[in-house]
Amino acid sequence: MSTVLHVGMADLVTAKHPATLISLGLGSCIGIAIYDEVAKLAGMAHIMLPESRGENTSKPGKFADTAVCALVNELLQMGASKGRLKAKMAGGAQMFALGGKGSSILSVGDRNVEATKRALSSLDIPLVAFDVGGNKGRSVEFRTDRWILIVKVIGSAVKEL
Amino acid sequence: MKLEWEHLTSLQLDALKEVVNIGAGNAATALSKLLKRSVTMEVPKAELIPVYEVAEKYGAPETPVCAVLIRCEGEFSGNVIFLMEEGEAFRLSEILISQDLGSLDDTTKEEIRDSVNAEVGNIIIGAFLSAISLLVGSPLPSTVPAVAHDMLGSIMDVVAALYGMAGDVALMSKTTLNVIGEDSEVRGTVVLVPDPDSLETLLKKLGVF
Repeated sequence: MSTVLHVGMADLVTAKHPATLISLGLGSCIGIAIYDEVAKLAGMAHIMLPESRGENTSKPGKFADTAVCALVNELLQMGASKGRLKAKMAGGAQMFALGGKGSSILSVGDRNVEATKRALSSLDIPLVAFDVGGNKGRSVEFRTDRWILIVKVIGSAVKEL
Repeated sequence: MKLEWEHLTSLQLDALKEVVNIGAGNAATALSKLLKRSVTMEVPKAELIPVYEVAEKYGAPETPVCAVLIRCEGEFSGNVIFLMEEGEAFRLSEILISQDLGSLDDTTKEEIRDSVNAEVGNIIIGAFLSAISLLVGSPLPSTVPAVAHDMLGSIMDVVAALYGMAGDVALMSKTTLNVIGEDSEVRGTVVLVPDPDSLETLLKKLGVF
């Protein structure tokens, strides 16, 4: 029986195989899994916002830039190899569509996706699969037995990334 | 100095509770007239909570809900969300159109429900905002309602992100309306999310800043 770990908002959690990392009800938030199949290590972050802009936060998982860095550092400390790390992510939806100024305030999902991609590419970590954007919320589950990210959306078939 | 959520005093929180109370009272009256049924209101809440707990404070993250959001931008700006559990949203639309939707096909059923929910949300939030508008003493131009049917957690992400941009603290200001039916109750929650820079305006108007 593998361990099931819940990753709450702005949390980041790492685990050794066998484990399942879960983030429920992602709207504009991002669920990102970074893993090393050889060292059998994986981590997940539940990112809320795109950039920390140097803000000191006790929760590095809150922002895309700090979350990716912190997650990678933690995995490296546990024995992962930087060259083998890969990432999969889902989320970044825009739950409500409004016109005018409201749309920019509520479109944080897109900015989260972009910021997460930037953070990954600045560390040369390949993003091998993703399911982002749109206007539906997602629940994600990362399984270390097959290194897959399972994405659930209300009213749609389950996707495996 | 910019007003920070974490520095709100209990007097200021009480004033915000009163805003929710007046707004929701107006909304309850509107809903009651619309449905020709009694509508009761729970004691409003205005609490400061860690922004990371916003989703779970409202319920289980995967609960399917129907949410209507209206944003207003005037002297006071912010977002108001009306939340109902999916099943209760269905029941409310049945009460409103006085018809059993059970015999219709799923697509038609959902279209009717969505349209009714958007309208109910519009009326409730409109009544809520018009009370705030009276308090502020100026009109509050607002957007057309945006409706989402989704998991509670993903809807509340919107609220968490709005507060998260300003810091680690969120204001949970809400109340629940109960529509008293013959055999069952239908509940909906009104959530007020003032923009950080307009909170000061609101508190000044209330004489607590």
